[in-house]
Formats: sequence, structure tokens, C-alpha cells
Amino acid sequence: MDRSKETVSTLGRMPSTRRHWSRAALFTGVGLLLAGCANNAPQDIFEPKGENAKKIDTLQRPVFYIAGIVALIVIGIVGYAMWKFRDRGQDIPEQSHGNPKLEIALTILPAIILAAISVPTVISVFELDKKTDTECIINVTGQQWWWEYDYATGQCGDVKIDKPIVTAGELVIPEKTNVLLRITSRDVIHSYWIPALNGKRDAVPGRLHTLRMQADQPGIYTGQCTEFCGLSHARMRQAAVALTTSDFQQWVDNQLKEYVAPEAGSLAAEGEAVFTANCSKCHQVNDLKNADGSPVLSDPDLYVVSGVAPNLSHLMNRTAFAGWTFDLLTEECRTALWTAKPADFGAMYLKGVTPECFNEVALRDWLRNPPAMKPMFVDPNNLSSTGGKYRGMPNLNLKPDQIDQLIAYLLGRN
Amino acid sequence: MFTTGSKLFLGATALSTVSAIVFGASVGGSAGMLGTIGLISVAVVFAFIAGINLFTRDGNVSATEADVERNTAAAQAGVGRSMWPLAAALGSAGLVVGAVSKPVVFKVSFVILLAAAAEWMVQGFSERVSADPKYNEGIRKRLLHPLEFPLLAAVGAIVFIYSFSRIMLNIDKDAGRWVFMVIGAIITAAGFIFAAKRGMGKSTAAGIITVGALALVGVGIASAVSGQHPIEEHPEITSAVCLGTASEAQIEEIDTKASQSVAAKSNVLANVHLTSDEQLYALNTGIGYVQYHEIMVPQSNTVHVMFHNDSAEPRRLTIHLGTFKAADGTEGSEEADCTTAVEKGGTAFLTFKITKSQLASTTPYRLTVPGVEDQEIKLLVP
Repeated sequence: MDRSKETVSTLGRMPSTRRHWSRAALFTGVGLLLAGCANNAPQDIFEPKGENAKKIDTLQRPVFYIAGIVALIVIGIVGYAMWKFRDRGQDIPEQSHGNPKLEIALTILPAIILAAISVPTVISVFELDKKTDTECIINVTGQQWWWEYDYATGQCGDVKIDKPIVTAGELVIPEKTNVLLRITSRDVIHSYWIPALNGKRDAVPGRLHTLRMQADQPGIYTGQCTEFCGLSHARMRQAAVALTTSDFQQWVDNQLKEYVAPEAGSLAAEGEAVFTANCSKCHQVNDLKNADGSPVLSDPDLYVVSGVAPNLSHLMNRTAFAGWTFDLLTEECRTALWTAKPADFGAMYLKGVTPECFNEVALRDWLRNPPAMKPMFVDPNNLSSTGGKYRGMPNLNLKPDQIDQLIAYLLGRN
Repeated sequence: MFTTGSKLFLGATALSTVSAIVFGASVGGSAGMLGTIGLISVAVVFAFIAGINLFTRDGNVSATEADVERNTAAAQAGVGRSMWPLAAALGSAGLVVGAVSKPVVFKVSFVILLAAAAEWMVQGFSERVSADPKYNEGIRKRLLHPLEFPLLAAVGAIVFIYSFSRIMLNIDKDAGRWVFMVIGAIITAAGFIFAAKRGMGKSTAAGIITVGALALVGVGIASAVSGQHPIEEHPEITSAVCLGTASEAQIEEIDTKASQSVAAKSNVLANVHLTSDEQLYALNTGIGYVQYHEIMVPQSNTVHVMFHNDSAEPRRLTIHLGTFKAADGTEGSEEADCTTAVEKGGTAFLTFKITKSQLASTTPYRLTVPGVEDQEIKLLVP
């Protein structure tokens, strides 16, 4: 064989292979770098917007840097060793067993690093668990696949809540107030997480876990369930909305205002009848009355595994529905709200869903066939394992005119 | 270019891919999605196997290498008969029988089938690893012993524990502790003897252990057939007891014999305190410095409150769970639950779940302490 030809051939291929790997590495590196530059990332854990999240950020950044440096050193040394001592047909070098000095050093050094990191970690853990400065408590209950918020009577910051408030999807809190969430679940384990305001906390049936929340300024902070909880886990989202004290007072007043029945003979009044006949079995609208004047009371425990369904009394004061998955606002209005300056945010949020901003398409699609939009265990022929109860909203087979009536009615629930 | 084996699997890959596309396009909903994912997975597996076949050129030996062909492991005859086909047949038959009779038969048969398949496969593989039967047997052991030994030990332990539990459940409560002590003493003594008598033969020790094990399993079977001893049931706390309408004797029985078990895995919504001057208040978890006289309770959620009695008298915490109309419109009676009577300085858990709004009840949801007037904590269930 002509060795010189082989050598030339091999050398001819090498640059091409190197170029190939270099390009792959370059694209991967640039891709990762650009991914870190995303500016439309509302759940970025490195963008804290409250005291508690800042404590986590203050802790995680140095840890991240130290871990990154250690990783670079280790990867560098391993890479160098792999390249330098790669198999080129040379003899196997002399084998030795261990190096006590090096091993002791490599044990002590990580121990020192971990011990150093543990001090601020433990301090942060205790600070994040503090309850003595609580100014407001809110019960947060997870179920497949949405979050419910119960506001107890009493003080919430500087605002007094006279009657209990129940809402869903959006947690509304006063800014600069230490809010304590008491988190639990009605069915399986979920996990509550608003990255901009604090870390995660599991919602476990039968247990009550607490989580501090505090937002520096008005705004909307999004999150999602972070414990796999079944078919629509990915569609179990949530948001925290922070308002100034005066705006929060206005929100509370609005939640507690008396029910206003639609004008007799209107499309909305027909929608009220449709709602009472179909939806009120599970969904409560506070103060809604039957024709005989008795209250219309939902009894979701008879139909739903979790025993509850979202309270719709003030649906149009929220910005999304169905586990905070589908927007109630048009894209334009949503963008305007999400990008509003803190000073303008409260007024915009409190306007609720106006007819001009109403994303009717999403709600109409939902009323037509909910399981088509959000997978749920709601096949009426396949409920034997749940004793005939649903895990979500089934298709009620509403007719188009009933959907029109319901939309007119729900648009007035603000 | 393509080997025979790889062609087969490449064909299967193509078929699975086409099936996935057709299935995904024709069947909608979650069933369609799941089916498509399944078929794509099958295609990936086939593609992987095809790749392996291509890479190994089907494991073929060159026709020119006649010696290799003669001496290769695949050319060797099996070393002996195998009982695993029989076990697999038994498992398969059991699956069919279990499918139409009892689920437990199905499950046991499935395990037998699984075990037989694993053993059979490994045996088949190991017999052809090399031309040396001894080496092949070593390979089989090396592969299967790490599975066989723990599994057999687990089965033995289960039989042992189950037999022992049947015996303990069969005998009287008082005799139980004696039996437990005697058996424990016998095992300990046997251990000492074995340790002291180092010269004892292997077969003697094995014989003694076998006799002991057989005796235990035999008595266990007899006990299981005989059944378990009667268990005294605790009386249940009833609304009548909680509302004070039950007889003194019933109330006393509840307080002395009712289950005192505490849901230790749970934590509380609120701590309810009855002070020494018989004032009742609640401390909500998370905001411990405000004394509440009303608590928000999430609907349809199991919650717990802890009752602390600092009054001089034994007191119970009663929850009034509302009064509801029956289906025929008649007014029902008030439902209630309560703790047992708690001595001074004592605590008790009260667990409850309210599934209906407070508007559905004609009487309010509340916590009271019978015997303590004008003190209550309202429970708000909107």
C-alpha cells in the first residue's frame, strides 16, 4: 500500500471533519447564547419582581456562577485529558492506584465549597419560611386543572375584606404586602409557582403548605403547575396580579358588589336561564336567584371529582379562563395590559373584559366543545373509575343560539 | 448493501411509519394522538434494530471461514432440556383462565410468564455464547443469579411473614404476646447454638431450619383456615353524641373507647383554643397573632383543626355541619361531628369536609364546645 497517498488522503479529510464539528459547536453555542437573550420570557427565574424571589435570586446567582466555574474546570480537564491522551496506537502508560494527596484535596475542596454555600442557603430557607410578618392570608387550592383562591374575611394589607371572596386562575394581591398563601389540593399533587414572586410549593391533598408572596409593583406575573398532575397538566396555568392598595380596594369592592340581573327580555337574560339550567350545577354565580326567589346553588360535588368548579361571578374581571389557559382579552388588549407601565396597570386591569377587548372566539369555542380545547377525562361513557364524576368540563352539546345567549350573559359577569 | 435481516426491519419501519401517518390523519382526538405516538415509537424501535443488523451485517460469518462456522457458538447444540417452555405454557394458560375468572390468577400467571420468558431467553442465549458448556453455564448464572436470589429470598420472606401474621391474627390478644416472645426466644436460642457448635454439620443445620420453616408455614396455613380472632370495634362518634342528645352511657363509651387515631400526616387549617376562662377563638395557620371568630373553609376540601382545651373541665369541640332538606323537601336534622372529650391541657384533631355552600344549609356551619355558652367560631363556606 502506498502510505504517502493514505497520509495525503487522511490529511485531506481532516479539515473537513473539523470544520463540520466546529460548525456544530458554533451553532449550538450561539443557539444557547441567543436563548438566554429572550426578552419575552415572563417566567424567567432570573427576573425577580418581589422580595422573596429576590432572596432566591441573590442565593442562586453566586451558586450558579460557582457551579459554572467548577463545571468548566472539570469539563476542561476531562476534555484536555481525552484529547491529549487519545489512542494513537501508543503503549499503555504505567498504571498506578490512587493519589492520596490529590484525593484528600478533591474531597476537602468541594466540602468547603458546599459548607460555604450552605450558610446563605439555610438563612434563605428560614427567611422564606417566615410567617410572623404576614399581612394577608389567601387559601390556594389546586385541582385538575385549575387553581382556586379563597380570600378570608379580615385584613389583607390595608384593605378590609368583609365577606369571603372566591375566584379562580388569577391571584390578585396588594403590592408591597406580605401575603401568605395556604396551599393545598383537592385531588392529586400539584405545585404552585409564580417564578417572579417566589419558588415552588407543592399542593398536597390533606396538607396545608404555606408560601410567601410579595410584589414590588403593580403588574401581572405568570406561572404554571410544576408537578405532573394528569392529562392537562400543561394547561394548568396561573397568574398573580399585583395592584396598588387603592386599586386592590376597588377590586375587593367589585368582587363583593351585589349581583345585577340582566335586563328582562334581553339576550343576556335568556343566557341567565341557560346558565341556570345547565352551568349552575357546577359553577356558582353568587346571588343568582331562581324564578321563585330561592338562591341558585351549585352542587359540583355531585358531578366533579374534585368537588368544585370555578366560581363565575366575576369571570370578566379575569384575563383568562379554563385554568388560565385561554385569553379572555383580544391579543391587542392583552399586549397593552401586559406591557402597561406600573402606574397605568391597575386602571387597565380593573376595567376587566370590555366588549371591545373581548376575545369571543375562544369562549365560543370553549362553550361549543370544551374537551376539544383542553383534554380532560370527561367521556360520559368512561366514568366508571370515578363513580360517574367528571375531571373537567364535559361537552354540554349547547346549541348555537344557547351559546350566543350564554356569551351575552357571561359578558355581564364583571 | 442491505443485509437480509436489515431489509426485514427496514420494511417494518416503513410499514409502521406509514401506519402512523394514516392513523394520525384518520383518527382524531387523544386516542389518535396516543395511537400515533405508539406507532411512531414502534417505527423508531424497528429502525434501531435495522441499524444494528446493518452494523453487524446480520452477525454473518464469512463463508470462506469454515472453521469459524463449525466452532461458532451458534453452531453448538443445546446443553439440555429446559423446563421454561413448560412454565411459559402454564403462564399462558393461566392468563387465559385468569382473564375470565379472577384477576389474581391473571396477575400471578403474568408474573410466571414473564419469569419463564426471561429465564428461557437467557438460557437460550447462554447456551450459545461459546462452545464451552461450563463457561456458558457460568454466563447464565452471572446474568440470572442477581435476579433469582433476591426474588427467591423475597418470596421466602413473604411466605414466612404471611404465615407468622396468620398465626398472630388467629390466637388470642393476650396469648399473642406470649407466642411472640416464645418464638423469638426459640430463634435466638437456635442462633446461639448454631454459633457455639461450630462443628455442627451443614446438613444438620439445614435440617433444623427446614423443619422449623415447615412447622411455621404449616401452622400458618392452619391458622389461615381457622380464621382470625374477633376484633372489638370502636364505637363511632355520632351527631347525637356531638350535639349532646345521646345517652350518658353512649357518650361515656365514646369518650373512653372511640378511636383516638390522629391523622398525623395532616396539618391544620387552624388551632382552636378554649381558654381557662372558657373563651373560644381560632388562630389561623400562617397568621398566628390574630384571634379569629370566623374561619374560611374551602368547599369540598378535607381540612383539619386542632382543639386545645385549657379550661378546667373535659370538653369536646363540635362542628355543626348544617341542616339540609331531603329530596322530598322535608327538613332534615342537623349534622355534626366532634372530638372526644379532651382533658385540661389536652389536644385533639377534628377532620371534616364541607361539600355544600353555607347558603344550602338552614343552620350555620360553626364550631362550638358543648357546655360553654355564647362561644362559637363561624365557618364560612361561600
